[in-house]
Amino acid sequence: MPRAALDRVQRWMQAVIVHPGTVDDGIRSPAAAAEVATVEDVVRPSARLTAAERVGIYHGMYLGRMVDALESDYPALQRLLGAEGFADLVRGYVQAHPSRSYTLNRLGDHFPEFVATAPGLRRRGFCHDLARLERAMSQVFDEEETPALTPEAIAAVPADAWEGARLHPIAAFRLLAVGHPVNAYVDATRGDGRAAPQRGRRRGGVAVYRRMYGVCRLDLSPPAHALLEALAAGATIGEAVGRVLAQGGRARVAAEDLFRWFREWVAEGIFRAVTIERRG
Amino acid sequence: MGLRTVHFGHILARQPEVDWFEVLSENFLDTGGRPLHVLDQVAERYPVVLHGVSLSIGSVDPLDRDYLRKLKALARRTRARWVSDHLCWTGVLGRNVHDLLPMPYTEEALRHTTERVRQVSDILERPLVLENPSSYVEFASSTMPESEFLARLARDADCGLLLDVNNVYVSAFNHGFDAGAYIDAMPADRVVQYHLAGHTHHGTHIVDTHSDHAVPEVWQLYARACRRTGHVSTLYEWDENIPVFEVMHAEALKARAYRTHVMAAAG
Repeated sequence: MPRAALDRVQRWMQAVIVHPGTVDDGIRSPAAAAEVATVEDVVRPSARLTAAERVGIYHGMYLGRMVDALESDYPALQRLLGAEGFADLVRGYVQAHPSRSYTLNRLGDHFPEFVATAPGLRRRGFCHDLARLERAMSQVFDEEETPALTPEAIAAVPADAWEGARLHPIAAFRLLAVGHPVNAYVDATRGDGRAAPQRGRRRGGVAVYRRMYGVCRLDLSPPAHALLEALAAGATIGEAVGRVLAQGGRARVAAEDLFRWFREWVAEGIFRAVTIERRG
Repeated sequence: MGLRTVHFGHILARQPEVDWFEVLSENFLDTGGRPLHVLDQVAERYPVVLHGVSLSIGSVDPLDRDYLRKLKALARRTRARWVSDHLCWTGVLGRNVHDLLPMPYTEEALRHTTERVRQVSDILERPLVLENPSSYVEFASSTMPESEFLARLARDADCGLLLDVNNVYVSAFNHGFDAGAYIDAMPADRVVQYHLAGHTHHGTHIVDTHSDHAVPEVWQLYARACRRTGHVSTLYEWDENIPVFEVMHAEALKARAYRTHVMAAAG
């Protein structure tokens, strides 16, 4: 039997160890069989293990490593689905979206979209919102540090200029519209372990941002979310407030709500700058 | 010592007496958050070396230029004394399985790896240091022992060696070679760093888990290596079930005392 060249050895071994079935399934797979005829053509048996058992060590560790990596990014979703359910989800995910980056931090980039369509997933809407929230938390953790708006910068804005001013969020900021109480669920999984809210719907938003290098989350009512969304998209304060006040019915907000929200967002360091359009 | 997230607070608050820190490169390449903020402070006070797992020096895929660009920037930022990775490959066909997969030890693989080590050293503008891997398979195509491959690679590519003594012990058990002979085959003048670690014994094979104290046989191999190389920077690796800082620090101090004792006894 001719010795397998380096490229064939590597393609064969990868095909075997990433196979979603057993190691024997991987060895029999078309991708592996296209490279070499038998496992013994590539791997020597040891005194205690067959060639297939030796490759099986790598095969077994592969999925475990993928599960560990995604569990560190999506701990609340793992808790919701349970160890077995989460591992099943990961098994399908890494087949659809294998890592193509040098860092495992990018492995979960497509996880929320996969959760949205993964077959057989119960409480899909809740799981999708939860995955989106945990993805945002990971992104905010790693974002570039940008200094927050200072009291001096705020005081320098003339009172009559605020309506035309624009507030710019820090880099470590994400805003999500959610339909389920996933922020409360994350809180519960990090707390005393008591049963977390899993059912029902909760329309609104969650702001995820970094403060003093820690990741923070803020539940937002629908009008507060709409206001912050407009500001983050580049609307002036006047435009953003006008849109929110124009909403009637249950979404109606009072002026004191607006002031309270602005005070809270500025105090939390969500904005990095305020700019004023010069007229004329 | 290895710089681990769970010890960030302790290190910044107590500023313990540590000779140097080994930093896992990939944990700091794509973050502008707390990890980098902490690393900047650590690098300000302590010497730092970078240790990576994603270079994939033995892969037949092209070198990842984006990764190397970021690695070079991190090395400059931290004034890293050296940059190390493993003699392994981590994936092909654009895919990364994030494992340190072993090489077949052939003339073809040696030529291929030697050329890539030279390229990486040129890009990083500093010598590369490569670690012997722990492995669970041997390839039928191999025509030389791992120790010979590594020694020839270090000479031909002009790179340093990070000799992981626990990996030698693990692979020796798994493949049935003489660990002492492996240590003796290492070119002493190329060894710039040691790793010590614990492992998990499964009866039929040993897995390199970095989850415990090193066994006495690993310490004996370390002594054998030190007698050949003299004092060389040594790191105690602990990556699973990471204990409190004081326990890891004690293991690092134990390695230093052990080495000093061995060297004194050797005269």
